Amino acid sequence: MSAQDGAEDALRRHRLLALVDGEGSAGAAAGGGRGTADAPALLSRLGRVCTVAVSEVRVDGAGVTVMGSLEAGVGGARDQIAATGRLTQQLEDLQLTTGEGPCLDAYRGGLPVLAGDIAAEPARWLGFGPEAVRAGVAALFSLPLQVGAVRLGTLDLHRLTTGPLTREQLADALALAALATEALLDLTDSGNGAAQEDDGDVQDAAASLTGWLPDVHADVHIAAGMVSARAGVDVATALLRVRAHAFSHSEPIHDVARRIIARDLVLDRSGTPEPGPPPEDGHEPSPETPAPDPEGEDP
Amino acid sequence: MSNGREPQVIDTFLGLTDTLVHDFDALDMLTMLSERCVELLDVDAAGVILTDGQGGLSVAAASTERTRLLEVFAVAIDAGPCVDCVRSGRPVSSEDLTAPGAGDRWPRYASQATDAGFRSTHALPMRLRDEVIGVLTLLHTDPHILVDDDVRLGQALADAATIGLLHERAVRYAETVQEQLQGALNSRVIIEQAKGVVAGQSELGPEEAFGRLRTHARRHGLRLTDLARAVVERTVDVASLRPGP
Repeated sequence: MSAQDGAEDALRRHRLLALVDGEGSAGAAAGGGRGTADAPALLSRLGRVCTVAVSEVRVDGAGVTVMGSLEAGVGGARDQIAATGRLTQQLEDLQLTTGEGPCLDAYRGGLPVLAGDIAAEPARWLGFGPEAVRAGVAALFSLPLQVGAVRLGTLDLHRLTTGPLTREQLADALALAALATEALLDLTDSGNGAAQEDDGDVQDAAASLTGWLPDVHADVHIAAGMVSARAGVDVATALLRVRAHAFSHSEPIHDVARRIIARDLVLDRSGTPEPGPPPEDGHEPSPETPAPDPEGEDP
Repeated sequence: MSNGREPQVIDTFLGLTDTLVHDFDALDMLTMLSERCVELLDVDAAGVILTDGQGGLSVAAASTERTRLLEVFAVAIDAGPCVDCVRSGRPVSSEDLTAPGAGDRWPRYASQATDAGFRSTHALPMRLRDEVIGVLTLLHTDPHILVDDDVRLGQALADAATIGLLHERAVRYAETVQEQLQGALNSRVIIEQAKGVVAGQSELGPEEAFGRLRTHARRHGLRLTDLARAVVERTVDVASLRPGP
């Protein structure tokens, strides 16, 4: 790296940091040092990293997904702790459903995943790609949040129009990923102060961190537990059935989860809904409704 | 660098900064730094003192035992060019410790150093921007003025070692964070799954199921995540979870 590059990077970082810190924003103090800020302030800081990504990198949405390992992330132990909008959440849900996508690739490889035209490369993500295109997304960019070889998650960006990131935009995106990583290191460290658990678990550092996790996939895990109990399979298999049902019916995985929790949908065998009478426990029959989601909530 | 030491210099830089190698060890790296200083620079001995982040100092490495003892002495009396260097973040040197100036400034250090056979000390800061993490001390058995080339290379080696150390610390910290994150995600997931298992084996909704789990955990002095795991793995009978009082 030349001295000029170094100076350019420092200026870039300074400019983006000022945007993320904002004027008089609550989280401005969050960068002051490890473990000095509370979890909500740091979560909102990650939210602002996403907002700045939208304005500076010129993307239509941005989100931060965390996971502790690739296997765990594919297996559902992941959380989207910041997102600028519904479509960003939907992309995270699709990646959970299909078990593939740019976020997982960036996490696996430790390198940015830059897909400027996902419709043009349908073989890249066989399950996820077409669904993302159907949702209206044209380009996806994922950047790993990492320190050395240690990965904590990804910064995920998307556009509704095709086209690569310019050199400047990529440099901004990488700098923002670095800021998100720093915030995440602060956030995790501050977990002790954010403990919400009331069951005496607070000594355990990891347990105390659970308090700040938004847990966006909670209902999917509840649903997997229910399927596990009713079908007599382990939870990993049960989660696969929930995902398979969502994928094969092109139904949002959280809608599937909500219907399972409401006992409107029973997945007893290999992801196939039970059409017949209820099992022997005498539970209310509830054949799957093929009609569109009656609640008509989130599009 | 025209005297043929370039290949060795490159090797040394790689060794100081390649913290991603599997068995990277900070103390090994600093020992290498002090030994290579003796080989590459015109110096007789070298040592490294690190700060502990709370103002304390400790000797991390030295090219010889004599050097280590002198460094330990400097830390113990909290005086000497190396101590001044780490406190100020700037190079501090004495070309002749027996000259009146040095004797006045660090009398005890100067006499200990001459007893150990050293006449000259050059201390170079190990710093990145505002953060001073230690000092590289170069020692000579004769009065000595370090030539510019050696000062520059010595400082470059100190800088490389600093980057290596800071990077290694950052990676180690991130590993801890990653473990905590994984633990937090796992326990959150397992609690949700357990709610589902209890709900699936009863007529309870998820919130009521959570109430049962929490009551049971409190009653039996169990951690909620441990109980949840037992429920999910079916090593606890869900029917045994009684409603709360």
